[in-house]
Amino acid sequence: MSALEIESLALERGDFTLGPVSLDVALGSATVLLGPSGAGKTTLLRAVAGFLPTSAGTVRLAGASIGSLPPERRGFGFVPGNLGLFSDRRVRQNVRYPIGLRGGPDVEGRTAHWLERFGLTALADRYPRELSSGERQRVAMARALASDPKALLWDEPLAALDVESREELLRLLADLLETERIPLLLVTHDPATAFALASRVVVLEEGSVRFDGPPEALGRAPLDRFVARFLGYANLFDAEELGRAPPSDLVRALTRASGPAGVAVPNEAVRFAPGPGAGASARVQAVRWSSAGWTVALRHGGLVLHRTVPGELPPVRVGDEVALSVETLALKPLVASSTGATR
Amino acid sequence: MDRSSALGRGLAAAASASLVGLFVLPLVALFVYAGGRGLGVAAGDPGFRTALEFTLLASALAVGSGLLVGIPLGYALARFRFPGRRLLESVVMVPVVVPHLVVGIGLLLLFAPNSPVGHLAGALGIPVLDATAGVVLVMVYVGAPYVVLTSQLAFRAVDDDVLEAARSLGASPTEALVTVTLPSAARGILTGALLMWARGVSEVGGFLILAFAVSPSPPWSGPTTSTASVWIYSYWGIDPTAAVGASALLVLVALAIFLAVRGFDRSGLSGLVGRWLP
Repeated sequence: MSALEIESLALERGDFTLGPVSLDVALGSATVLLGPSGAGKTTLLRAVAGFLPTSAGTVRLAGASIGSLPPERRGFGFVPGNLGLFSDRRVRQNVRYPIGLRGGPDVEGRTAHWLERFGLTALADRYPRELSSGERQRVAMARALASDPKALLWDEPLAALDVESREELLRLLADLLETERIPLLLVTHDPATAFALASRVVVLEEGSVRFDGPPEALGRAPLDRFVARFLGYANLFDAEELGRAPPSDLVRALTRASGPAGVAVPNEAVRFAPGPGAGASARVQAVRWSSAGWTVALRHGGLVLHRTVPGELPPVRVGDEVALSVETLALKPLVASSTGATR
Repeated sequence: MDRSSALGRGLAAAASASLVGLFVLPLVALFVYAGGRGLGVAAGDPGFRTALEFTLLASALAVGSGLLVGIPLGYALARFRFPGRRLLESVVMVPVVVPHLVVGIGLLLLFAPNSPVGHLAGALGIPVLDATAGVVLVMVYVGAPYVVLTSQLAFRAVDDDVLEAARSLGASPTEALVTVTLPSAARGILTGALLMWARGVSEVGGFLILAFAVSPSPPWSGPTTSTASVWIYSYWGIDPTAAVGASALLVLVALAIFLAVRGFDRSGLSGLVGRWLP
């Protein structure tokens, strides 16, 4: 059963039009809103939370229509992008806020429960500024859950977190979905978050839904450039780029594999070896390190292909000549954007 | 450090030292001249003690009134967009630039017994000329802009995300205002109140015109008196030693109040949460 249902929600803000957007979030599952900056993800989340007026559509939570209710009566735990912690209150007072607001018995006991649940007991007397970004996220989560919400809305929970804190928070969120059985609608521009948590992914671009389905279907769906970028394809070539490149076996292979909007070359499909050899001749244009490994940029004619290799530095240097080939069976044709949506 | 940056730092240090010297040295001179004897004379002078008492009463009333009208105005200027907002912001700052003798003359003309406003005040039984209300009025006029300005800045600094979080945690707009916005802005408002108080207590020009000698008038039930600043101004020509002693005493009282307010400020909001706030 869907705990949170959004049906044909639409709104206008100045020149920007959002929707109509329809999506739902099942009990104990996460639906992730994915998209680049300016896609309308945060706008949608704030509209669902009741902070922006909508021009059409309905929002139902636990079977009740809540679209006309003010934010405080909608039953969401809403965590904004910068968490909205009360900077002049200690951690304990932040978590206590929704409990104290509602009143009832044992306010301190209930506060202590949520502090302990998120490992914040030892940090209870600190101010948010004295916490790490991961700890602040935990405070925001504890405070949101202390309000006894029927669903959680969270804007960019993993933004600005180091790798360790991201992993920890992802574990916490996954645990939360399982133990609290709460539906989670989460905004991110990071596909890794989506794949780690989501049972459903909704990709937004320029206010419109471009994809709606389980995360694994995102990889199987016809690829457009937008979705391909989100799936981490570093090598996307359109027909014009391929047409401009000097003819070669490699360019012809890419052209043959192209769809209407070009071709995507997965990272693993790019092969190279030092020195001249079997394959097209290419030159190493750059070698860069990131947390994903070493990325080598290889120039062949007018095309630049990237290959990221985890682990040790590959035995090439900038300016070296290498033999370049691609795994033709792994190439993905790109469809035009408008056909990329499944809904 | 290269030579130009060393020179820059030297100039900045010299400028800072001159300014701090300008702030502090006159007070040092005042205390040196007054000495313990001067302070004792002023503290023992019933006329000055009465003037000081009256000043503290009038300034408390003025700050209370200033907060009452200044906080909503500061909030409106910070949070709402409406036609004429920029003009209103400029009007609020007018008292800061108008010479204070002129303020006194303007208020005197406005509240003269034969003027419509003066007539109305008289009909309501609120004496203004040479009365407590006149002193409070001058203090509000010259000091309230600081409350408006600092509370406007303080309200503007309250993040929308924080308010939205509070709303979704169950707070109605009024509850969010009372439990989040006002406490978050409290430090700024307190600073404004302190500035307003200091400005009101140090005022002279407006009082000379509107309320030189203050007759007993609600809520002041003591003898005819003046503000401490006017008392010092009057005695400067008659008994400079007493005037200097009174000045030093006034500075000490002001510093004590300043430190007390800052102490409360430092104790912060935390003490209120749980007792007065959720």
